[in-house]
Amino acid sequence: MKPYWDVNVLTGTKTAKIVEDPVQWASIIKKSIRPLYILGPDTVDRNIGDKLFLEYCLDVAKAGNLPICATAHVRKKMSEMGVETDSAYDIIEIINHLKDPEWQGVRKEGNHDLIMFTGVRCDLAERGLATLKHFAPHLKTMALCRFSHPNADFALPVIRKDTKWQEYFDGLVANLIN
Amino acid sequence: MKFNVEVGPQFEGERVRKDDLYIEFGGPKVGAKVELATIKKMDEVEHGKITIIGPDIGDLAEGGSYPLGVQVEVAGPELDKDMEPVFERRIHQYCNYIEGFMHSAQRNDVWIRISKDAVKKGLTSLEEVGKVLVYLYPSELPIIEKVAVTFITDSKKVEEFLPSALTVYKERDERVKGLTEEVVDEFYGCTLCQSFAPTHVCIITPERVSLCGAVNWFDGRAASKIDPYGPQFVVEKGELLDANTTIYSKVNEVVAEKSMGASSVFCLHSVFGNPHTSCGCFESIAFYIPEVDGVGILTRDFSGESVNGSPFSTMAGELSGGKQVEGYIGMGVEYLRSPKFLKGDGGLRRVVWMPKVVKERMKDSISPEMFDKIATEEHAKNIDELTEFLNKVKHPVMSGEFS
Amino acid sequence: MSKNKEETLKIIKGEDAWEPVGPTPLPDITDLRNWSMRLLKTYKPFYAPFCDLCCNCTYGKCDLTAGKKGACGIDIATHQARWVLMQCCMGLSAHGAHGRHLIDYLINKHGKDYKIDLGLQVDVEAPIIRTVMGLKPEILGDLRTVIEYVERGLIHLVSSTHTGQEGHYLDFENKSLHAGMLDLLAMEAADIAQIAGYNYPTSIADTPLVELGWGAIDKTKPVILAIGHNAAPINATIDYLQNNNLEDKVEVCGICCTAHDVTRRSDRAKVVGHLARQLFFIRCGIADVIITDEQCVRTDVPEEATRAGASLIATSDKICYGLEDVTEKEIDEIVKMITEEKKQVLILDPDKAGEVAARVAIAIAPGRKKEFINEKTAMKLAKECNGCNLCSEACPNLLSVGKSVKEFADGEVDKLSETFKLCFTCGKCEQKCPKNIPIIKIMQAVATKETYKMRSGRGPIHDVEIRQVGSPIVLGTIPGIVAFVGCSNYPKGDKEIAEMMDEFARRKYIVVASGCAAMAAGMVKDKEGKTIWEKYPPGFEAGGVLNVGSCVANSHIAGAAIKVANIFAKLPGRANYECIADYILNRVGACGVAWGAYSQKALAIGTGFNRWGVPVVLGPHSAKYKRLYLSRKEEDDWNIMDGRTEKMMDEYVEPAPEHLAIVIESKERAIVSIAKYCIRRNDTPVGRQIKLNHYIALYKKYMGEGFPDDLHLFIRKPTDVPMFFKREVMDYLKKIGWKPRQQVGLPTLINTYPTKANIADIK
Repeated sequence: MKPYWDVNVLTGTKTAKIVEDPVQWASIIKKSIRPLYILGPDTVDRNIGDKLFLEYCLDVAKAGNLPICATAHVRKKMSEMGVETDSAYDIIEIINHLKDPEWQGVRKEGNHDLIMFTGVRCDLAERGLATLKHFAPHLKTMALCRFSHPNADFALPVIRKDTKWQEYFDGLVANLIN
Repeated sequence: MKFNVEVGPQFEGERVRKDDLYIEFGGPKVGAKVELATIKKMDEVEHGKITIIGPDIGDLAEGGSYPLGVQVEVAGPELDKDMEPVFERRIHQYCNYIEGFMHSAQRNDVWIRISKDAVKKGLTSLEEVGKVLVYLYPSELPIIEKVAVTFITDSKKVEEFLPSALTVYKERDERVKGLTEEVVDEFYGCTLCQSFAPTHVCIITPERVSLCGAVNWFDGRAASKIDPYGPQFVVEKGELLDANTTIYSKVNEVVAEKSMGASSVFCLHSVFGNPHTSCGCFESIAFYIPEVDGVGILTRDFSGESVNGSPFSTMAGELSGGKQVEGYIGMGVEYLRSPKFLKGDGGLRRVVWMPKVVKERMKDSISPEMFDKIATEEHAKNIDELTEFLNKVKHPVMSGEFS
Repeated sequence: MSKNKEETLKIIKGEDAWEPVGPTPLPDITDLRNWSMRLLKTYKPFYAPFCDLCCNCTYGKCDLTAGKKGACGIDIATHQARWVLMQCCMGLSAHGAHGRHLIDYLINKHGKDYKIDLGLQVDVEAPIIRTVMGLKPEILGDLRTVIEYVERGLIHLVSSTHTGQEGHYLDFENKSLHAGMLDLLAMEAADIAQIAGYNYPTSIADTPLVELGWGAIDKTKPVILAIGHNAAPINATIDYLQNNNLEDKVEVCGICCTAHDVTRRSDRAKVVGHLARQLFFIRCGIADVIITDEQCVRTDVPEEATRAGASLIATSDKICYGLEDVTEKEIDEIVKMITEEKKQVLILDPDKAGEVAARVAIAIAPGRKKEFINEKTAMKLAKECNGCNLCSEACPNLLSVGKSVKEFADGEVDKLSETFKLCFTCGKCEQKCPKNIPIIKIMQAVATKETYKMRSGRGPIHDVEIRQVGSPIVLGTIPGIVAFVGCSNYPKGDKEIAEMMDEFARRKYIVVASGCAAMAAGMVKDKEGKTIWEKYPPGFEAGGVLNVGSCVANSHIAGAAIKVANIFAKLPGRANYECIADYILNRVGACGVAWGAYSQKALAIGTGFNRWGVPVVLGPHSAKYKRLYLSRKEEDDWNIMDGRTEKMMDEYVEPAPEHLAIVIESKERAIVSIAKYCIRRNDTPVGRQIKLNHYIALYKKYMGEGFPDDLHLFIRKPTDVPMFFKREVMDYLKKIGWKPRQQVGLPTLINTYPTKANIADIK
């Protein structure tokens, strides 16, 4: 399946498994031991419908009790909203740490076994996912992004409509809570 | 700390121009203006107290010029009276950290301008300026434990305050005049420049400002108390080994230690024999001119070639880097005013050339007799012209009668 | 390469005793390898593969995914490193060949003994050439010696990328660093040659403000547009116009670096904009004649020129476009071929090309209509849009092209206008459009027609300026030198460059710009209508904003850092690469910012700066370069020697600079990080206070309240804490259990690894 952006078309053999069902997505997260949710600046620069993109993501983090790495300037909005982030590495720095299986993770409990991306600029996210695909075999990656990411282990299909995107978030939150 | 306007080093040197001006305090249009910092006993200062006597910024009509008295009172067990001028200069420094707030001159010449933007952003009270001062004094200078600030904008009250301030200034000036190398117990050393000149040590005495011009004896004294392990430290004098070129035994020891043995004899007031080392950021150079057996002075902002054919950059290249280079020293420009200026070499009577602006600036420190005998770029652009000039004016070096 | 000592000394004129010859004259690939390896130990290569396959030889394609090796045995990391080297070599050869062409051309004109004189304020004329090679260039002929050395190095570097050559990624990285070093060397030679040969401004800071922006181009005159980097032909046009009193009758303008260099020749020439405005401007049809020279020129210029009704003269052996070579023909005949037979031509003689361009423009301009498309016509074209959004998917800058075109068709201008500001006008959207809507053309209707100003390039930083700022830079009271360089592949438009420059200039950093970044910075006005070039002083001083010039003038930025060590701190520079680089790494708070880097040249330049010890911040697109140099501040090797005692520090020493090459996603984050990357281990307490003051203040502004989570790593003693945040920071430090530690006397890496460098030189 082609990702939304042409620049992210894969030249390679190992491509993401597309997970269309939020129930399945939630169950992958639930199975992980030390997940990490990476939030990029699109989450604070865009709305979905009338609501700030970030709010959907924070709902997911809360529902799944996921530690957050707020990249770029996401921390500012979070602190204005009164939410503390577990870590504020920038995107390249967090990926650089994740490569090392011995790294102790953002909560100093050991490296993460599942990484989820949302709101990272799509071309940059795809490069970061490529790094993890090649150099971090000890963890799985999920791109919770409506534009789809072939270099992740698990990706969404391209979701063109805002309403569908909102539905996916709602489904995910509901299933993470259960 | 949160202020209505930004506060930070980026605002140092910021100008408030006529078009941006909201109001000004002091300055040439106002007679009553004064600023004073004094040291009080611990129980005499209520920390953080800010008093405003008279109308505040927000009460004054835009575009006007108003009287101002600023009184800063500090207290701390380690403070001594000699530090007062150092603390007073901090009023200028700290005020200029405030966005849209320009402080210039000092004492009873003080001049403050406040910009429209700053007022718009909420700088409507001197209270805020007071808060900045109260925050910054103990932050930068932990030996200060208490600070109180009073602003007087009532013309009559400023007039009343002025005479007592003038008395303090006068006492301080007398003290400075009386301070000689012989009178004080200790000098101060500075190794800040070792970052780029690892064997350079500056020795600062009451009669010798640092080479960069930024640290005088009082500054050194305050800094060495504030951070005894910092780059400025106490230097004992020891025995005076040579009264002429001024060599002290303990100064030699400190220089040897701090330069890791690179220099072990160090004259305080001579370009010959073992002159002091030079860093790289000296304001000016004193250089020996063998053809006339005299000394020239060249400053960093002089853009042309000096009388010996070298521009500042070339000459600076030769003597910088923490080495002793006989015939050359880097120096602070104010050192020219020192009664001990190149004492070992004949002092100002040995000086044959300096840029015109420097000569004008030093006019009150050069004897009238010598003033006309020192050439500038207008009199001499090379050694031949210099020799001719010196002969014409009968400069002491021409007859060897300079000492 | 010759390792014969006598021959080496001959090449660098060893008998010329301006300084003793240092340990590494004319270094070859392995001479500075230990320095590279020491850097790479702390700043480890980070790879982000762009493609999982290798298609380099007939064994392939080979899939190198996650641990698989190719038929030749190569793994993915080494393959990435090899790619990076290939790209660095492309960049190096572009600058090298550019320099070679200019130097040969100028030697032809002036003779090889033509003196290099950079004016009263510049004694150290070529800090890079002196330090790397050990040569002090005095005449144009010496610059040819430089290029010959570069050419010799390049052949070995490219060779190692062949299948079955180098087999370790670290060694590829050493070679990339070497290529980067040679790149800066070639650039310095090229820019010195043109300053000397063309009398470009030098030894002055306040060079003229020239006009900038397509709106500044006077359409009523014949317009000649130069695109590329080698100003030889367009400078010849200027000469022709001046000699024939035609300068005010013809408009000369440029896109990309050739625009910089022609405005250094004549301040009446104008800058259309950076390289991303090529297709847009050509399609506006305003240029009557287009001269292409070399580098960053679109490959479809012949087709686009035809479409726009403009004449085309190609002038470089690098870009011949399949055109007929008419170099040997008479000028009259060539003019006739172009004006009457409507031919596009290749003229390899810059002087001839320059004159032909002028004559053709004057001849054809009166017959051409030159107008921007109006809004009404543009909307009519946009109405064809069926909303399929294929154009958006094709956008390399991830813009909602389709949505803005659709809204524009409905009468809504703002969104398209915003989109244009972020657009590179690459034209990929149009190719996807099933309705063939001329999107780039439509954008003419929403593009601003304003006129801006840019300070023309000034060349090297003056020795006296270095002496004046040397102390505050090394002590840290000027918080840093921030250099905005490189191309215009910006994630969010030109505006961000101007904003970042303004943030640092107002905080009294020294802000330097070059190339397309200098143009982008000028395309924004403040509320008083001033560009950054009019707002700040042009000197190398606190709060100064400087334009050094074109791409090749980037060398002067590295040159300034070298001069701080060599002129100000008196480190011996001749053939003493490692000592000077070590000094810069540990003591000169400089940071490069290539926010829109796209080209292989930009990669080579950045890598060259890295070898000198200067960190470089890249914008998000540059992740596609596939390689960065990153540290992990808590885990990596920050051991350092105190040069004073020659003992290793036994305590943790601050991670400064933290990375050598890093991609940062947003402008906000970049600003905070740049402030941090200006911190050096040598900072005095006052300097550290000022640097941390900005780091904290910017963090609060862009990242929210609180303190950076690595703040404590940069505080050695309470005297390092900025007085403006003293109480809060001291409370915070207490809370996290911070302990004071020693300041390093003279931080150095020399002698912490096997080296020929002499530690006595740094003292």
